Amino acid sequence: MISNSKRRTWLAGAAAAIALVGAACGGGTTSSSPGSFKGTIRIGYSGALTGQSQLYGHAISQSIRLAADDINAKGGINSYKVETDVLDDGTTVDKAAANTRQLILQDNVKALIGSVNSAQCQAESPLAKQNKVIMLAATCNSYQLTTEPDLINPYWVSIVPNTYMEGTAAGQLAAKTGAKKIFVVSPKYLFGVSETNAFVASLKRAAPGATIVNAPETWFVPYPTNPRWDSTINAIQAAQPDLIYSNIFAADQVNFITQALQVDPQFFKKFPMTTLSSVDDLNTLKDKYPLGMQLYMRAPFFALTNSRMTDFVNRYRAKYSEYPSDWAVMDYDAMQMYAQAANAAKSFDSDKVRDQIVGHSFSSLRGYSFKIRKEDQQANVGETIGTTASSGGKYPFPTLSSPTNLKGDDLIMPTELVSELKAGKCEKNNDPTTTDFALCPSWKKG
Amino acid sequence: MSPGQLLLFAVGGLANAAYLFIVTAGLSLVFGALRIINMAHGSLYMIAAFVTVVVANRLGASFGFWTGLLLAVALTGVIGALIEILVLRRIYGQEHLVQLLGTYALSLVAAGAVRILFGASYRTVRPPDIVSGSLNIGGFRYSGYAVFMIASAVVIAIGVYLLLYRTALGRNIRAAVSDPELLNVSGVNVSRLYTTVFVIGAGLAALGGAIVAPSQAVGASMDTDVLVLAFAISVIGGLGSIVGTAVGALIVGEVISFGLNNQYTNQFAIAFVFIIMAAVLTVRPWGLFGRPEQDL
Repeated sequence: MISNSKRRTWLAGAAAAIALVGAACGGGTTSSSPGSFKGTIRIGYSGALTGQSQLYGHAISQSIRLAADDINAKGGINSYKVETDVLDDGTTVDKAAANTRQLILQDNVKALIGSVNSAQCQAESPLAKQNKVIMLAATCNSYQLTTEPDLINPYWVSIVPNTYMEGTAAGQLAAKTGAKKIFVVSPKYLFGVSETNAFVASLKRAAPGATIVNAPETWFVPYPTNPRWDSTINAIQAAQPDLIYSNIFAADQVNFITQALQVDPQFFKKFPMTTLSSVDDLNTLKDKYPLGMQLYMRAPFFALTNSRMTDFVNRYRAKYSEYPSDWAVMDYDAMQMYAQAANAAKSFDSDKVRDQIVGHSFSSLRGYSFKIRKEDQQANVGETIGTTASSGGKYPFPTLSSPTNLKGDDLIMPTELVSELKAGKCEKNNDPTTTDFALCPSWKKG
Repeated sequence: MSPGQLLLFAVGGLANAAYLFIVTAGLSLVFGALRIINMAHGSLYMIAAFVTVVVANRLGASFGFWTGLLLAVALTGVIGALIEILVLRRIYGQEHLVQLLGTYALSLVAAGAVRILFGASYRTVRPPDIVSGSLNIGGFRYSGYAVFMIASAVVIAIGVYLLLYRTALGRNIRAAVSDPELLNVSGVNVSRLYTTVFVIGAGLAALGGAIVAPSQAVGASMDTDVLVLAFAISVIGGLGSIVGTAVGALIVGEVISFGLNNQYTNQFAIAFVFIIMAAVLTVRPWGLFGRPEQDL
């Protein structure tokens, strides 16, 4: 017979084992084709290969490997062969931090590719800063990562449209629909809060008559999320909004859409939705992804057509038998940017490489050049908006009808706001966790 | 909240509870009879979901789904038998930490195998036509598939109850829970009984995976996604108790459904599940419907 205290011990053991499950590791180091190199350098990536965001992390890991191959085919960086060092964070913050320590201290990487999620990046940034390792964020995108005084990292470079750029663009998009009653659903962590607050601030300015029908406390759902979305779907039915605004993503978006359509095949016709999305999300649901959805996307290959992109898509598909996601496009750009800057610096010293990044322009798969400005080391990269429509058989998933590629210069945060954020003027009671550009004096002035 | 909205959120909680019950029932059954906390339970659930999706997408949603479900249960049952015979039999007498680590190792092997076989992408499948409609009650829509999940959970609960309390096998299983030594000397082949119980537990995990597949993204991490709440339910209801599992799932499902929707409880809806679990552990460590070990 087993005592109650032993049973408690089992349960404690079970809890510990559950925690271990979440920490399951994967990834590894891969090399590219051999050549006459002086040696080898590593670029590290700790990302979600398992867990809620595995869909995105998987694409990034493939993309940076392809980029390393391409860089090596052109002689590497400073005549050194590039290897990627990929570790799985399981979509968890503590594992992301542990991986980053390992990549820097044990694997001696020369640069890091930022994780998928802002929460992970928030944990990684101080480690990169402390060890003076360049960190290239091409997926995690909360503007606080580059402007909040406690988080600012001189070695952090963002080449993804940040939450200010996305959130304000989404707010203007929603305002144009004329919707008066809007329901908000978002993941409860730095990214979701940052982007949703940006959306709401922008909406208030662009459509003062619009109201958010659910209480602010219910905008955010716990993250990572329970796979059943009944509560949110029912709350939407009860609130009868004109529009749903969402920035839920990956498995959460797939589950939410799937279950909403099971409640009512006309759900998104009754309640149109403006949401962040990506090729990965479209490709997962394929013809089950609803048509008529208003999407904002970071770098959908099908809307950013140019010869370099076409070549990239063809080679990516040949190598991986998949369509490249937005994340794949942006992280490929990140790798190429680092290679160009380190070659120009003729060094791997982070300060020298950074000097070749900040204030400089880089060509992108996206069909334009982007520039890293000095104020927040943010690139003026654009965003694509449009409404989902059938691709007419061209792709196994819907694309956007008449997509609009918004220009980064029109989206990027005004430098006055950046200065105020960096000075800590946009917080409640000097609490850094409340940092919000809508609290900045210049935003309030309008 | 109007009566219509009350019903809406109650049924939403039931759907969540149904999903959680189906997944947790096998876990609880295995623990009750074998005294094994099976960390690989989520893996069996995940494997079944993948089998169902692959077969259903190959053969077409309606016929394919039911075929996939049957294949998933059969395949997972075979895997369960192999796990019990090749691994668990060697660790029944060991420290419980060894058992935990043993089944945890199995879950890692399964996760790796699934990733190699199916890749990192999510897969989805449509529900079979017969349960893909929706209902309109009081101006609100209800998912036909969620109703199917609730009905499935009820059928499974009744089935497991009848198995345990109306069959010779069930009598032996209950005897194994109460006094395995006595059962052994009474001529029952305990080894075979344990294998049978584990196969049934695996089959229940498979039913869970197959049934949830049309309502969720099927991916290589769904094993761990479900395990935490499944253990919370087992602890609240009482490890080894099917009735307790049903009640635990109901509590968790409704707490999440109503809790997330309320502005005052939204922040704590998920945490509240674990607060309940901690309270149960403190006041009644054997769970609401479990029995203290000394009584067994």
